[in-house]
Amino acid sequence: MKLHGVQQTKWSGVLIFALLILVFPMIVTQSFYLTQATFAGIYAIIAIGLGLLMGYAGQISLGQAAFYGIGAYTTSVLTATMGWSPWISLPVAILVPAVVAFFMGYTMSRLSGYYLAMATLALGIIVHTLLVEWRGVTKGASGFFGIPQLNLFGFTITQGVPYYYLVWFFVLVVLVLSLNIVHSRVGRALRSIHDSEIASSAMGVNTGKYKMQIFILSAMFAGLAGWLFAHMSYSISPAAFTMDASILFLAMVVLGGSGSVWGALIGTLLIRVVGIVVHALGEKFPFITSDFEHVIYGLILMLVVIFMPRGLFPSVTGWFESLATKRSSKKSMLEVAAAKREV
Amino acid sequence: MGDLLQFTLTGVTIGSIYAIVALGFVTIYSVTKVINLAQGEFVMLGGLTMFSLTTAGLPYWVAFFVTIFFVLILGWIMEFILIRRAKGADAISLIILTIGASIFIRGIASVVWGKDQLRVAPFTENTPVNIMGATITPQAMWVVLIMLLVVFLLYILIDKTMVGKAFQASSVNPLAARLMGVSPIKMSSLSFTLSAALGALAGLAVAPIMFPAYDMGAMLGIKGFSAAILGGLGSAPGAVVGGLLIGLLESLGAGYISSGMKDAITFSAILLILLIRPSGILGEKSVGKGGL
Repeated sequence: MKLHGVQQTKWSGVLIFALLILVFPMIVTQSFYLTQATFAGIYAIIAIGLGLLMGYAGQISLGQAAFYGIGAYTTSVLTATMGWSPWISLPVAILVPAVVAFFMGYTMSRLSGYYLAMATLALGIIVHTLLVEWRGVTKGASGFFGIPQLNLFGFTITQGVPYYYLVWFFVLVVLVLSLNIVHSRVGRALRSIHDSEIASSAMGVNTGKYKMQIFILSAMFAGLAGWLFAHMSYSISPAAFTMDASILFLAMVVLGGSGSVWGALIGTLLIRVVGIVVHALGEKFPFITSDFEHVIYGLILMLVVIFMPRGLFPSVTGWFESLATKRSSKKSMLEVAAAKREV
Repeated sequence: MGDLLQFTLTGVTIGSIYAIVALGFVTIYSVTKVINLAQGEFVMLGGLTMFSLTTAGLPYWVAFFVTIFFVLILGWIMEFILIRRAKGADAISLIILTIGASIFIRGIASVVWGKDQLRVAPFTENTPVNIMGATITPQAMWVVLIMLLVVFLLYILIDKTMVGKAFQASSVNPLAARLMGVSPIKMSSLSFTLSAALGALAGLAVAPIMFPAYDMGAMLGIKGFSAAILGGLGSAPGAVVGGLLIGLLESLGAGYISSGMKDAITFSAILLILLIRPSGILGEKSVGKGGL
């Protein structure tokens, strides 16, 4: 019966969230905020994937921007250079990062901890260097121009409200998919890996396989985000896929809370809000430059790790839960523990 | 032949810098099991502080030692404020924590020093010397010399002094070390201070060659980290081997293949090496010994 309740809150959350997405452009009509919200959606897709990797597989990736870039450049080459339809290039833009992740996974399956962090860092640097130097295909540092717009049923999906809805439609798909994974057999296996890899492999969980699968999935999400980004901005350059971007994605997940699908989403929105606020302050006070943004991201990372190691979302829901336990003594400790696990 | 010698000399010079940075990583890691990804920022702070002090008119060698002292204090503060509070956190959290610190320090530095590359005078007269068709600057020789000196002094400190024994003890078993009167907290503090000083020294040595700027720490930090990983975390000889190897890979890759591709070549090689030896080149030897 308990499980039934949990499932209900899960899907009602998705429903409320979908409604919020629907009404947002009706309330906020300035194109600046709409563009920001669209970007937030693109980043949210990456952050949710990274959150699964960090929170459920217990692995860190310091090179997630590589997969994002591979996705964006794959579709750019296929559509702008080779004249494919963007919709046909979509599965390819998701598949190519997955293939790269698969081969990386072989190296990584032998590594752990700091060695793994190093390997993902290396991947990010290699891909960025290739994007700059492989001029014949990527057009070098100046980047790609003339990436075609998306068409759907004869309508062109332009920047603004249409693209906003497209991006957030994909966010919803990714969100529902991830929540399903988290609540499935695979999710339980992954959580057990996170707690103790040795114990779970002793229980017959194929830890390597699940870690590999989640790593590939997170790369596919990033590839999808890259596809969305390329067809939104019509021009891309390697500057968008640096290590700074990878660390920004990391900050989103850490702030919201790894080990929570909702947390990654909320973290993304908060980091975007911080960016907007700093930008707005910078227009009033000239000494606040964009570097200030980095100072704040750095501060956020440090403060969250020290004061809220689980991240914002799990911490806040944790407080509510402990409040609820104090009020209703009927609720057994076991149920609370179960609820915590399910978030 | 002249080319090969030139690339090798350049590789050894850059590699020595990576080795010093890597020794900073190893010093902290072997005592606290923390990887401080802000290590590169200590290098950057070393170079930029030296610039400010010499421009302010301080005599060269006074500025040199004040710089080291300044960065060393910052390392101590970092351990005191950040690392001590995060005791018991897992590897991922610690990586994130020190990444946060490095972004923060870099941001502050860009506000304080601006974004331009700055000029710092070399240690001594810097006319390039010709060796069999290859040239090397005296500053490059200083860099190699400083690396050798650092390795020697660390060896003396760790293997021959009581402080070194305490270092090793709190690395192998913190609880047992405490029972024997060694404070792991003090050792952690000391390792951060020492490693910040090493970073500053690397920054001072490299400043006249590289023209320091606020963002120089990121790449130096990553290369130093790679060197430490490649050598096998926690092994000082490994850090030196790793550093020199990366320097040579980079210099030969840039010389014979493409200067733009040098980072891709270097990191691909690192991935390959890790694929063959997942615990680094000298990794397994240090297992069980626990010391530097």
